[in-house]
Amino acid sequence: MSTEEQVLQKAVRLEWITLATTAVNVTLVGLVAGQSQAMRAAWLEDMLAFLPPIAFLIAVRIIRRPPSGQFPYGYHRAIGVGHLVAATALLFMGGLLLFTSTSGLIAQERPPIGITVLFGHDIWAGWLMVAVMAVSGVAPVILGRMKLKLAEQLHDKLLRADADMLKADWTTALATIIGVLGIGVGLWWMDAAAAIVVSLSIVWDGVTNLKAAVGDLVDERAMRFDDSEPHFLIDAAEARAHTFPWVADARARVRDQGHVFHVELFVVPHRGQDPTVSELDRLRRSVESIDWKLHDVVIVPVPSLTGMP
Amino acid sequence: MRVLLPLPLALLLVGCTALPVDVEGTFDRASGGTLVVGVSEHPPWVHVDDEGRVTGSEADLITSFADSIYADVEWTAGPESVLADKVRRGEVDVVVGGLTASSPWMSSMALTRPYQTVAGEKMVMGVRLGENELLVNLERHLAREFGEIQ
Repeated sequence: MSTEEQVLQKAVRLEWITLATTAVNVTLVGLVAGQSQAMRAAWLEDMLAFLPPIAFLIAVRIIRRPPSGQFPYGYHRAIGVGHLVAATALLFMGGLLLFTSTSGLIAQERPPIGITVLFGHDIWAGWLMVAVMAVSGVAPVILGRMKLKLAEQLHDKLLRADADMLKADWTTALATIIGVLGIGVGLWWMDAAAAIVVSLSIVWDGVTNLKAAVGDLVDERAMRFDDSEPHFLIDAAEARAHTFPWVADARARVRDQGHVFHVELFVVPHRGQDPTVSELDRLRRSVESIDWKLHDVVIVPVPSLTGMP
Repeated sequence: MRVLLPLPLALLLVGCTALPVDVEGTFDRASGGTLVVGVSEHPPWVHVDDEGRVTGSEADLITSFADSIYADVEWTAGPESVLADKVRRGEVDVVVGGLTASSPWMSSMALTRPYQTVAGEKMVMGVRLGENELLVNLERHLAREFGEIQ
């Protein structure tokens, strides 16, 4: 089993764990939500948190299918589609939270939190909410960090959006704790204010991911998994071409297919040194051997690179 | 943000009984003072006679609650919709009159947890929004009266 296959297996396992913990959180939060804006929003968000792991699990099944006559490039883009789904879920969740908490603040809603009777004892429901939120925030912190690591190894932006979703989860939990305690000490606006701060960061993550997902689907040049800079393999492919003596100049056009890249390598041979078919094939194999992500490499000999962006 | 985590934990230790506190301090004002209660005619829970005397099961519950916090009760009679307006503006502290958990007044007042189920209807009372200390103390009193807690 190759390393990336092992990493992928690990990611799949993490996603199943995420689905399980999310299911537990949804149940717990639903039980204690009451009338707190932040708690109800947290519950809705937990529902949305199901989407990225489900998108990932479906996508990794689909990308395994071999290319066919109908889909000659294979199904790698399924990861990109999953990324779009996860990014949309993230943006929707942030927007929803921003809307409910802002309108709550404007309407000066004062959330009532009464008592709950547990086994013949009464307890302020706020304490229960704080406890549930503290417990439900733990798993997302751990899972999110683990996924971010795997996202980089796999070059999986869907996994990264999923990690952002988990971050949104635990920051919302923290905001809810602050909000409920705020209500407890008589600061009715604390619930909404804490939710607004957190929702802004979620909206930001949603927009960033959505931009990246759409960019990849319209064949933006391949970027790092967090879209911070162009992927180093573009330069690496061009540099490899330059090590061949017959190559005068080279330019790689690399698009992100999900886990893997498709490379179109335009090469200009030195005058009078037109490559043979076997020389072209050697270059292709050499570029493919740089990294498993360079999955599909096409070599295009051209007389010059003028006119290329 | 991680710096903030110990804060709730510390509060948890200190304030297990001190929270919640009212936004407007209604409970503190009513304790040893006057509790303003809006009542709407709705037998057998509330009955207002011609002389303005208030009787009924919920009137009794309110009286015993007021006794427990050494408060006098000032009754204000009116239809539910008028009382909903008054409690939202803070002119009355509590509203009673056979309200149920499906009352349409959720945005005007905080409904208590149901204290009793009568013919499938969950009986509740209304408290001014934001006055969670009053809400919690009234709920506790009701739960005690009906034997849910000690």
